[in-house]
Amino acid sequence: MASWTWFHRLGSPPYIYSLAARLTPWFAWPAAALILGGLYGGLVLAPPDYQQGDGFRIIYVHAPSAWMSLMVYMTMAISAGVGLIWRMKVAHAVAASCAPIGASFTFCALVTGSLWGQPMWGTFWEWDPRLTSELILLFLYLGYMGLRSAMEDVQRADRSSAVLAVVGIVNVPIIHYSVTWWKSLHQAPSVMKLARPAMPPSMLIPLLMMLLGFTLFFVAVLLVRLRGEVLSRERSASWIREAVSP
Amino acid sequence: MSEFLDMGGYAAYVWPSYGLTLVVVVLNIVWARRLLARSREEARRRLAMRVGGDT
Amino acid sequence: MDRRDLIGGSRDVRTGGRALTPALAAARLTLVRDLRLAFRKRGQLVQPLVFFAIVTTLFPLAVSPELSRLRDIAPGVLWVAALLSSLLALEFLFRDDAHDGTLEQYALSGQSLTWLLFAKTVAHWLLTGLPLAVMAPLAGLSLGVPAAAIPGIVASVAVGSVALSLIGSVGAALTLAVKRSGALLSLLTLPLAMPVLIFGARATELAIKGGDFSAPLQLLAALAVLGITLAPLATAAAVRINLE
Repeated sequence: MASWTWFHRLGSPPYIYSLAARLTPWFAWPAAALILGGLYGGLVLAPPDYQQGDGFRIIYVHAPSAWMSLMVYMTMAISAGVGLIWRMKVAHAVAASCAPIGASFTFCALVTGSLWGQPMWGTFWEWDPRLTSELILLFLYLGYMGLRSAMEDVQRADRSSAVLAVVGIVNVPIIHYSVTWWKSLHQAPSVMKLARPAMPPSMLIPLLMMLLGFTLFFVAVLLVRLRGEVLSRERSASWIREAVSP
Repeated sequence: MSEFLDMGGYAAYVWPSYGLTLVVVVLNIVWARRLLARSREEARRRLAMRVGGDT
Repeated sequence: MDRRDLIGGSRDVRTGGRALTPALAAARLTLVRDLRLAFRKRGQLVQPLVFFAIVTTLFPLAVSPELSRLRDIAPGVLWVAALLSSLLALEFLFRDDAHDGTLEQYALSGQSLTWLLFAKTVAHWLLTGLPLAVMAPLAGLSLGVPAAAIPGIVASVAVGSVALSLIGSVGAALTLAVKRSGALLSLLTLPLAMPVLIFGARATELAIKGGDFSAPLQLLAALAVLGITLAPLATAAAVRINLE
């Protein structure tokens, strides 16, 4: 029994509200430090790629954005599922906070991907399986946000969009597999097969720093949004008085 | 410095990518803070209305 | 020995029958009711088919009347048209029953809502998916598809539209409480339907080229089976949420 108390406390809005406020700087500052360090390492210290020259440096913003798009969707779907099963308001608030963050980084991954594609493929848009999956993922995010905004009642929006998020996460691997399969059929032998040696540490370490930095950044933004979502879900609880007093 | 900015001829692709990512990061911060501020404002208004209704 | 087996066996069947029959019987009644209702409004029934025919007519006009060129794009045309036609009828899948309180009665009936809604989805497939599968070869012939490809086209559209109906039922249930849900419904449903489109168009393409289309057809069938197992649960959950 005792081991479950943390779970119950996580379901309590006032506890979450104050916890989120306290935790935010612990994620925000390390995120800033890691991203700045990763930028310096990626733009200055890392050597140019032997094939792509300095063009490969787009990876330091493209890969973290693409990673965010998937990781945020996972977080969203899992917390939506938790909210559905245990009827936890806070879990729904987490899911609702995730969507705009995920959608913005999915968009970013698409644009940086196509900016990377222009010098590599000679065209801004190539129906590359990864970019195509990313585009479909953006549609999934937009559908989720569209469904939420179409509903007045927060609880109904929470639970309906949660069903959609769970259905979506079942579909994400299927979409990815089908798109990869589709591309493998229609592709003439690839000009740019990425059979490349493992990245040297001077390239890899900045990338890892950026990935971790973006992840921490996501948590920090999520915590701020979460406080807003939790507040707007509480109609008349007395703890709000304390929370909003300046 | 100008060599750095030139990015080996890839400047037209590298810098817009970094610029867009910066915009997305900043927008996320701004949106999140605005959401929080708005919900606090709204909660405050609700409280004020309730206090007004009680008395 | 034999007798005990027999008795045990018959008892199993009986209890099994008792547990299953009411749910299945209720589902069957729902299915029959929906089909009967649909056949009373024949005008609405043929609308998706007419839409399908019109969309496939647009392509020769927009692209080129050359059959050799049309044959190349026929799989894509057929599948996009089938996808859109199946979407067309979705908005009304649960709408009327939600308005007149039928869905509420279903939810309160004590029968499994999942089975009842699954029956409604089956009715949707029988009324749109299956006719589309019959129509598709005709549209295909007008696009220069050889007659030998007909079995493949019928099979792939028939199986793929099962998955489309099931995906669509989730979307229709989620947008039940939304006014003018048409655009939102497409936004929710189309991304989820992309794998069906990919495998379906591939199966059709292989059928047209005279190749072996069993691999994409099996993938389509796998999607349909996955849809049958999971989609009704999500549909029932979504309907419950949006009924209140």
